Amino acid sequence: MSIKYGLLALLERGQAYGYQLRASFEESTGSTWPLNIGQVYTTLSRLERDGLVQALGENPQGQRPYEITMAGRAALATWFATPVGDTERPRDELAIKLALALSTPGVDITTVVQTQRTASVRALQEYTRLKNRATGGDDISWLLIIDAMIFRVEAEVRWLDHCEASLLRHQRTRQETSTAETEVPDQAPEAVPTSTGETTPR
Amino acid sequence: MTVLELRDVHRTHGAGEAMVHALRGVSIAVQPGELVAVMGPSGSGKSTLLNLAGGLDGPTGGEVFVEGTAISQLSRRSLAALRRRAIGYVFQDLNLLPSLTAIENVALPLELDGMSVRKARAVAAKALDDVAISELALRFPDEMSGGQQQRVAIARAVVGERRLVLADEPTGALDSQTGESVLRLLRARCDAGAAGVLVTHDARHAGWADRVIFLRDGLVVDASGPLPEAEGLLEAAS
Ligand SMILES: Nc1ncnc2c1ncn2[C@@H]1O[C@H](COP(=O)(O)OP(=O)(O)OP(=O)(O)O)[C@@H](O)[C@H]1O
Ligand SMILES: [Mg+2]
Repeated sequence: MSIKYGLLALLERGQAYGYQLRASFEESTGSTWPLNIGQVYTTLSRLERDGLVQALGENPQGQRPYEITMAGRAALATWFATPVGDTERPRDELAIKLALALSTPGVDITTVVQTQRTASVRALQEYTRLKNRATGGDDISWLLIIDAMIFRVEAEVRWLDHCEASLLRHQRTRQETSTAETEVPDQAPEAVPTSTGETTPR
Repeated sequence: MTVLELRDVHRTHGAGEAMVHALRGVSIAVQPGELVAVMGPSGSGKSTLLNLAGGLDGPTGGEVFVEGTAISQLSRRSLAALRRRAIGYVFQDLNLLPSLTAIENVALPLELDGMSVRKARAVAAKALDDVAISELALRFPDEMSGGQQQRVAIARAVVGERRLVLADEPTGALDSQTGESVLRLLRARCDAGAAGVLVTHDARHAGWADRVIFLRDGLVVDASGPLPEAEGLLEAAS
């Protein structure tokens, strides 16, 4: 994933060592993407192997800073110039879950949808609280990231609303066709089917 | 003190075959400082709930309390006074008076309440400034865009010392930034002690609430955030 490019972008600002990189990474993503130091070192050694960064020997403080190479700069520029493709995102577990919920006996999909919606709205409440608190400061990159998450979750909720509406419509048409099929031909015209399928006189 | 309480509220329309159950037993309490969002599909009863909360409509069952007073116990006169003084609304259809300018629309409830015209204008001007349309103060509603009218309606709802602000889709005609500034305003109002109920389709706007209630077919099906007092549940368990 783009921890690689994240580190390259940070090194583009100037040389830095592992702990510094981790701190700046978390700072610039507003701590929304915590990294452990192991991930930082693994990524750095891969970047070094590919010639995108170079290690600068130990300094008197015992730290081993890295700096970006020409090849690293080029890779970073390409990354910024390339849109993020749909296939690079992880498979949508939620879409898969809903599709399976439809076909799994004993699972009520409207409950699955509502449970997800409540969780998503709760996430929105938390992001919004962070955002509301952050405003006033000048940390625009942090706000940008919160907004990205907010809009993404909003889209998820809209999609859930859409799923629920389609499901309801689907169920209704199914019910209508099934009651139409079971209707007795010589039934009295005053009788109307109730939701339970029984007929009652008006 | 609880600013708004709906206790097992029902609302039906029509009778017999054609009877519509708009609300089927809804209980909600909103405290000072709290903003509650109501979400739900079209026809689920959101506007009905808000109209009952503001005393614009009466329940067919249950009771609505505003600051501890049962609305059904109030005379027409005291209900009108309560609505004017304590409650601010933003309606789904904005309800601005066409023959008044923006600032007059905002100042009207204050003037009706006995504030001097001069003072009311000053307060209204501040409210228009809060929604970033002070330059439109002298325009009539039909001389403004939908989004601008919406902001006038919002200014009117939050002006003065309203303790209960009710808003039905207040961001409908607004772009995303302006919509957000409206939510900030509502949030600030509640942070300053008012109780707010916001009906919205937009989850991003519901995100500004302390609590989100989900309605479906006239019933609360779920809630996010601190849940209302579970007295009923406790009683049932004991
Ligand atoms: N005056 C009325 N007479 C008959 N039925 C009504 C009346 N007012 C509302 N209803 C019905 O009550 C139900 C709830 O309506 P309500 O306006 O509260 O929905 P809502 O959740 O606000 O929907 P929307 O998101 O479309 O504004 C709907 O089925 C509606 O048709
Ligand atoms: Mg409505």
